[in-house]
Amino acid sequence: MLTAQVSKLWVLLALTVISLFLAFSVGAIPLPVWEILRQQATDLQHTVFFEIRAPRVLLAAGVGAMLGLSGACLQGLFRNPLADPTLIGVSAGAALGAIAMIVLGDLIDLPAGWAAYAVPLAAVAGALLVTSFLYGFAAWFGQFSIVTLLLVGIAVNALSTVGIGAFEYLSDDRQLRNLVFWMMGSFGRAGWDTVIPALLVMSAAGILLIRQGRQLDLLQLGEAEAAHLGINVGRLKRVVILMSAVAVGAGVALSGIIGFVGLIVPHLVRLMIGPLHRYLLAGSLLLGAGLMVLADLLARTVIVPAELPVSLVTSALGAPFFLWLIARMRRR
Amino acid sequence: MNNYLAVCVLVLLTARTFAAPEAGSCPTRDLDASRVAVAGGSITEIIYALGAQDKIVAVDRTSNFPQAATRLPSIGYVRAVSAEGLLALNPTLVLGEHDMGPGEVVEQVRKAGLPVVVLPEVHTVQGIYEKVACIAQIMDAQANAVAKLRDAMDGMVHQLQVDKGGERPRVGILLSLADGVPTGGGRDTSAHGVLTMAGANNVFAGFSGWKPISLESMAESDPEFIVMPVRGIEAAGGREAVLAHPSVRLTKAGKNARIIAVDGMTLLGFGPRTLVAARDLAQQFKPQGDPG
Repeated sequence: MLTAQVSKLWVLLALTVISLFLAFSVGAIPLPVWEILRQQATDLQHTVFFEIRAPRVLLAAGVGAMLGLSGACLQGLFRNPLADPTLIGVSAGAALGAIAMIVLGDLIDLPAGWAAYAVPLAAVAGALLVTSFLYGFAAWFGQFSIVTLLLVGIAVNALSTVGIGAFEYLSDDRQLRNLVFWMMGSFGRAGWDTVIPALLVMSAAGILLIRQGRQLDLLQLGEAEAAHLGINVGRLKRVVILMSAVAVGAGVALSGIIGFVGLIVPHLVRLMIGPLHRYLLAGSLLLGAGLMVLADLLARTVIVPAELPVSLVTSALGAPFFLWLIARMRRR
Repeated sequence: MNNYLAVCVLVLLTARTFAAPEAGSCPTRDLDASRVAVAGGSITEIIYALGAQDKIVAVDRTSNFPQAATRLPSIGYVRAVSAEGLLALNPTLVLGEHDMGPGEVVEQVRKAGLPVVVLPEVHTVQGIYEKVACIAQIMDAQANAVAKLRDAMDGMVHQLQVDKGGERPRVGILLSLADGVPTGGGRDTSAHGVLTMAGANNVFAGFSGWKPISLESMAESDPEFIVMPVRGIEAAGGREAVLAHPSVRLTKAGKNARIIAVDGMTLLGFGPRTLVAARDLAQQFKPQGDPG
């Protein structure tokens, strides 16, 4: 039984590696990977590979992995199959931070080297602020229940939407269109200067999250039961919520909002390897990375030389799948 | 009162944006323009007018004039171009309007050794002349083609001066009546530039950019003419529906049925066609019954 799950994880790992290989090789400019490794590529191919495609593919993999992982953690924590990173205000907070910087950034003189970091940093700050506020407000009542957190999440998301709307009203035409494209999501803006710090932050948060698997398994028995079994439920909630905000916030700060991956990947993995979190978390991380890399591959190759917003691809594939999933659950 | 507050806040918040235009002046360094990728409708229009279209390898989605340009490969929307897509076309130069982006992608393309020239955008007659001169220089256009286009533009500007009335009518440009709320063009928009060219006062000059206009401020600004893109009128349900709209009905323009339909793209990208559009508007702004 256990070996079956571990071997399925190996299959997922293999699929992810194949997707990465495909994403590195295929694109508007043909790049045979072995020629690059053997230093036989032209200068243009070399630059495109190392300066444009590699950071882009790695960012896509990182964002997908963190969306899948935090989606699985949050669904486990809330014991609700509909939970995903948007629920704890990460996406709305990141969008609020980003639009604030897009609109207000014109008012402050940023040193030249900082311009590339301004919007991503503001997005991370927004994601953390909104999620911390949500957590703080819920915790204010003492030992808060998951239902409280869900309700506060809805209210805080609505409040963030108000803030986004206010900035949309204040923005001029150029800022508004920049915002629209930021919200649609794209990995096309990835460069090493921003991708490396984001990947480091994501790895640290990801390691903390993936270690919560066994505790999340015990939590499925119920909060009180888990506490009796020696789980510090308060700490578990804190770690999962805040680390999800860090992991997802660092990614969407660079890529913009990407829908459905955090919701659907854990369901897919559950179908494959069952509901145990100690395997589910690793599986969601791998499948999230693989699917996101493939979605981005589609986004940038379907209408060459132009490209689609990646969120359009993930939602277009994700929403029908979700409907199928619901139909399948209802039939049983 | 709330509107005034909002306008004041807006002016404060956006004040720095106007002071510092994004793009610089026309680059004078030598550029190889044998294979050009274009991001911006007005640039495509000017290159065609200069007869240098053989050098275009791809255009963006706002390049829909002349018709022939729409058959070229598309690099997507001017604000969301793809770095690899651009490089794959193997161009020698990318010519973009001020709103080409995202900025990170432009940087990636430059890093890969492909020159990117972003042309300044100035919403005046002078601005159009400078844009044409810059593109003619970069594209190394034939002298007689340049002279021909310049003559045609001189003619249009002359007619524009003739048709401009002595009185400055109060005009508002509405992009659409989407969801019943009109979107008006304020200061620092191409709409404002066209109205100024046509010798009119923009009634929405109190704010910057394109903004939704409340019914009350529509009635208060009380334009004598309302200019709308053809598509905006169609989307609102036709001319009659626009006239009957509560935000239009109470204005002078609404009472006198003075709704002017224009081709939206001539307003958005500033090229030679914008001069023609401005002249058409100037003619229609003239008091009715005025000879000539």
